[in-house]
Amino acid sequence: MKKLFVIAVLAIFTNTAFAATSIHAEVKGMVCAFCAKGINKKLRELDATQDVWVDLKNRMVVVELKDQKTMSLEAFTKLIKDAGYDVASVEYINKTLVEIKADHTHMKEVK
Amino acid sequence: MLARLSLALLLLITLPAQAAALMGFKDSAMLMSEFSTDRKELMLNYSPAVGHAFGVETMWMRGEKQTNLITNINYTGLIKRWNMPSGQANLWFMTGIGEASGDSSGFSYSPSVQFDYETTRVYFLAKARMVRAPHIQYDTYSLQGGFSFYETSFEETQPWIVVEARTTENMAMRNEITPALRLINQNYFFELGITNPWDSESRTPRLNLMLTF
Repeated sequence: MKKLFVIAVLAIFTNTAFAATSIHAEVKGMVCAFCAKGINKKLRELDATQDVWVDLKNRMVVVELKDQKTMSLEAFTKLIKDAGYDVASVEYINKTLVEIKADHTHMKEVK
Repeated sequence: MLARLSLALLLLITLPAQAAALMGFKDSAMLMSEFSTDRKELMLNYSPAVGHAFGVETMWMRGEKQTNLITNINYTGLIKRWNMPSGQANLWFMTGIGEASGDSSGFSYSPSVQFDYETTRVYFLAKARMVRAPHIQYDTYSLQGGFSFYETSFEETQPWIVVEARTTENMAMRNEITPALRLINQNYFFELGITNPWDSESRTPRLNLMLTF
């Protein structure tokens, strides 16, 4: 019974870990669309990328990952640095890009 | 003839400015140019690594006493970048060596330094550039400042109002003040200005475009 419980808990956590569908980052120095084009282009070239959202107003970059595909936060951070910027914070988010955009729209409306 | 025609076509479609970014991202190429009555410049560079770019530049300059065409190979280096939460500042070094032709000719060199600062609403640039060859001296000093009325999303085109003050040694038009409308999009940088708009004798249009690919 204990084993079954442990397996169930592991399954839940494992599922949560793999369910990270997007990477969300705050990027320092990203102030111009012409200059930030490299971030968008390089991220879209990656095999794991489903979609990309560059939000200049909030200095934010979001990458939605394809199903069954992964991208390490280190690889993501390196790509941003190679484009000439610094990452202030980066994390996995278990949401699609559409959901993240909707959250931001809602937050703006609340403000 | 074909080369001159190609150059003229490139100048017409890619008339650049001194933007904050002097190179694209890693593994990208950038085309920059400037086109006005007394000065035509074209520069193409390739960035193999962050902060380094190699390329070629050609400058046609009409001075007070002579006209020259200078063609250099060049290097652009990012000395220091400051990435801030709401802005970016850069200190650049550029240098080119090559050959001058025209009324004077010989070995040419063109080192320069540039500092720029930019947020999503405010822009400032200062640049000093030596352009030298035997009996040729077109040293240039320029300041630019600008602002945008509003922030835009990545997909939108952002309009800016920019004013540049520039002085160039030994040029036919030594001092230039150029107010311009700048449009920045993720795919291009377009600028249309009028140099010395209050002076009917020296008033001249200036058109700039930068492309990264």
